[in-house]
Amino acid sequence: MKSILNMEPKTAMRSFWSRAGKARRWRAFAPLGVLIVLCILIAIANPNFIEPRNLIRVANSAAVPLTLAMGMTFIILLGSIDLSVEGAMSVAAMVLVLLATNDSNANNYGWLAVVAAIAASTVMGLASGFLQTTLRIPSFMATLGVWFIGLGFSVYMLGGSAVRLMDENIRALALSRFLGFPLAVWIALAAFAVAIVIQYHTRIGRHIMAIGGGEDVAELSGINLRRVRIIAFGLAGFFFGVAGVLAAAQLGQSNAVIADGRLFAAVTAVVVGGTALTGGEGGVLNTLVGVLIVTVLANGMILLGISPYIQQTVQGLMIIAAVALSLDRFNLKIVK
Amino acid sequence: MSDRASISHFGRMNRRTLMMGASAGLAVAAMPKRLWAQGAPTLVTSIRSLSNPYHAVWKTGAEAYAASVGLEHVTLVSEGNSEKGIADIKAMLAKTGGNMVLNSDPNDTPDARPIVEACKSAGASVVTQWNKPADLHPRDFNPNYVSHIEFDGIASGKQIAEVLFKTMGGSGGIIALGGLISTTAAIERKKGLDEALAANPNIKLLDFQVANWKSTEAFDLTSNLLTRFGDDIKGVWAANDDMGTGALEALRAEGLAGKVPIVGIDGIKTAVDAVRTGEFACTITSDPFWQGGMGLSIGYNAHMKKFDPATQPPEHREFYGKVVSITKDNVEEYYKNNIDSKPTMDWNDLWGRVTGAIRA
Repeated sequence: MKSILNMEPKTAMRSFWSRAGKARRWRAFAPLGVLIVLCILIAIANPNFIEPRNLIRVANSAAVPLTLAMGMTFIILLGSIDLSVEGAMSVAAMVLVLLATNDSNANNYGWLAVVAAIAASTVMGLASGFLQTTLRIPSFMATLGVWFIGLGFSVYMLGGSAVRLMDENIRALALSRFLGFPLAVWIALAAFAVAIVIQYHTRIGRHIMAIGGGEDVAELSGINLRRVRIIAFGLAGFFFGVAGVLAAAQLGQSNAVIADGRLFAAVTAVVVGGTALTGGEGGVLNTLVGVLIVTVLANGMILLGISPYIQQTVQGLMIIAAVALSLDRFNLKIVK
Repeated sequence: MSDRASISHFGRMNRRTLMMGASAGLAVAAMPKRLWAQGAPTLVTSIRSLSNPYHAVWKTGAEAYAASVGLEHVTLVSEGNSEKGIADIKAMLAKTGGNMVLNSDPNDTPDARPIVEACKSAGASVVTQWNKPADLHPRDFNPNYVSHIEFDGIASGKQIAEVLFKTMGGSGGIIALGGLISTTAAIERKKGLDEALAANPNIKLLDFQVANWKSTEAFDLTSNLLTRFGDDIKGVWAANDDMGTGALEALRAEGLAGKVPIVGIDGIKTAVDAVRTGEFACTITSDPFWQGGMGLSIGYNAHMKKFDPATQPPEHREFYGKVVSITKDNVEEYYKNNIDSKPTMDWNDLWGRVTGAIRA
């Protein structure tokens, strides 16, 4: 404890909080605690909550947000932000429906359409990474631009209307089940597994954490910032593409606004899970918990019959509570 | 019937049509005055955007009418920008010297006043639809402000609710999905649902939830509501078709598509298809093709002095138009006339779809 105090000067308040080592360890599990308490409270109020059919529905509602949030986690770990979620997702969904069997043209490329959709959104991610590093534009602005480019492009291609997805095999992602769960849930879990492997078992994963923790230090230790950044945004684009495919399969159609509100949901889930917006802290495991908190809360509010007029208020309170609990706020040097 | 909320949404987001609108404006400015022969008026349509199917069909109707009377037709697109909408109209008034007929869906409620005043001082004839301030009346701007057309949200909400109840056999529980809380269309349609519920005591409203006009939100809401009420849900009332289709997919994931009837408003193609397959019980539309053509026809007939607006009864000056209901009884016919081909219309039947004066 003494050595820590010697290492960096602190105000009395900050040292008080950091000395509470126990509290700090507890904080890491705060989101999980919130999730468990939430589940218990909802289950007491309405036992239908723990009925298997409902748990499957919760998992199904979580599938798209989880896949999206996997991509977002890497970007936030990097200390950046990716606003292009809605653009990338709507491009993926648009490419998918226009290439697979649909009610607007005669294409019928089946699974190739899925590959093309994910590729399109991956390319958008790589492009955002490339723009930032080459033109030195902050991620906030670069991805904002890519968001509008993507959205404008899908509106143009879809002509402002909704196009139906009629490929039975792709619809099966949402409609057929394996071990009781829709295939979309298994795909989201696979995306989660991939993200875990990337974060904990690959060099790129460690580099992302290192850059998020301190970009200058990371650069001095020989990390190629530019390469890591481009790959991370490409990776995020990949996950957004998978999410776009799942969303189109679930809704059986694609319109330009299919991704409306997804950006906010993804960032909320990541942050509620305990990943710091400043970067370098948290990870995909936190995000899994964050996504479940948000989804369980939405499901629970319906089960409890909370008026739609105050649901948003409850969500807002929840976000503030979860974030306040999960980080050692008094130790932050800067709050902005 | 269109929901204004989602339309303005489309307009805001689309950049392609911004460019199109800008170039259309430039084209107008570049046109020499003498292009317009004296005598024959120019028909002008002012709408919000071409990127949503609703206004795209509106323009088709306007063009069909213009072709039927052999007149020049210009479409102005405001892109959700009130200043641009008004400025483009003023530019057209200047170019035509006031010899024009305007059919306008004002971008926002207050816009109607400057538009009408500009038309009055230039001597043009104008018909507005959907949006106008409550204290702006055609009778105060004789003869230039010919008519204002709206569609009754309460009646629409009630009408689809009644079809739903009938399809369910008159009893059972329903869930309802509403639009963005603060919009007039959402409030009116819900009021219509409430009226229908009051008249049908055997129907129980299990829950009313808000899905903000969106199919994605309706999808999640409906699957959660299925947990809460399970098999008690015998029908779904949606304030627009997009939310209805989201609910439909949630039902499909549970193997309930076609077993639990859904109703919506707007008449989008997906919903019409679903009526055909029996998954939707009904959808209704304000018929934008009619709105686009008839707005011009009413204005043109007044402009050519075929009738005098000042002597028309109040229900011809500010009226609710008749909505077209699409159920399994008429869906094949609707499909044949409206989706497989362009509808044919009697443009001289000016008042055929008047259902009554607008509530004060």
